[in-house]
Amino acid sequence: MITIKLNGKDQTLPDASVVNDLFLILGAEGKNVAVVVNETIVRPENRSSHRLQDGDQVEILAFAGGG
Amino acid sequence: MDVYHLGPQAFSSRLILGTGKFSSASVMLEAVKASGAELVTVALRRFNREQAGDDLFGPLSAIKGITLMPNTSGASTAAEAVRAARIARELSGSPFIKVEIHPNPQHLMPDPIETYEASRILAKEGFLVMPYIAADPVLAKRLEDVGCASVMPLGSAIGSGQGLGTADMLGIIIRESGIPVIVDAGLRSPSEAAAAMEMGCAAVLVNSAVAAAGNPVEMAAAFAGAVIAGRKAFHAGLMPQSRTAVATSPLTGFLGTNA
Repeated sequence: MITIKLNGKDQTLPDASVVNDLFLILGAEGKNVAVVVNETIVRPENRSSHRLQDGDQVEILAFAGGG
Repeated sequence: MDVYHLGPQAFSSRLILGTGKFSSASVMLEAVKASGAELVTVALRRFNREQAGDDLFGPLSAIKGITLMPNTSGASTAAEAVRAARIARELSGSPFIKVEIHPNPQHLMPDPIETYEASRILAKEGFLVMPYIAADPVLAKRLEDVGCASVMPLGSAIGSGQGLGTADMLGIIIRESGIPVIVDAGLRSPSEAAAAMEMGCAAVLVNSAVAAAGNPVEMAAAFAGAVIAGRKAFHAGLMPQSRTAVATSPLTGFLGTNA
């Protein structure tokens, strides 16, 4: 098992988890989100292959209302 | 066709709408449609499944003719704003970014130094930079010099509804500016939006004035009409002002006089 920070909270995951696995946890499947792992943007085409490492800082962001 | 340009892109609607503070996503979407806005602002936030309003990208993009302008709200330094802008562009596919850096939640006044620095970096990276600034003619000119697509001086504090408190400075900015000037923040009523347009602003940006109105959809339409009226008035040219009365009816030849 590995532990990452997902949107600021500790999240435990099986080894060999990829970015796409996080969408199920967050309920973000099919949503238009940006993914940032350790300050680097992970583009949609790389999300099924990008393996997460213990200690990764992951941010999943979307557009909300704002002025 | 009366259009204005932000970078290479032409816009015919001179009303830009913010999408915050609406009671629901559906009211916001109806207000966007009623406003006729072609450019709408959105904020970048951590995805949260409990917030039904999250992920506005899909529903907003489905409205014909809409371009998204993400903001950097939440950033308190240039570095944070630049980082937010790059992520936002990834998500929006839009080159527009509203640089909004206000470190103090009490007054939400934009930090001129951090805003300048972020705008300079982002303009170099090819963004169409729309900085939210105090109504400072010197800063506005400096932002034009580093390649911003517009400047967006405030009318009064964000969400305050205090109107065009900065009118004198806005007048100077409009006279001096070689890029579109968009009044952003503080407007409460359509008449204030019309007044800003009569002064020669290229556009106005409103959010709270619509979102917090009794009927947001109706108010969006009211602002749309006011902006069109104000723009036409600017185009037509206001009459000269006089300190004394100038009669509109003949003052001679009245019945019963000898003259």
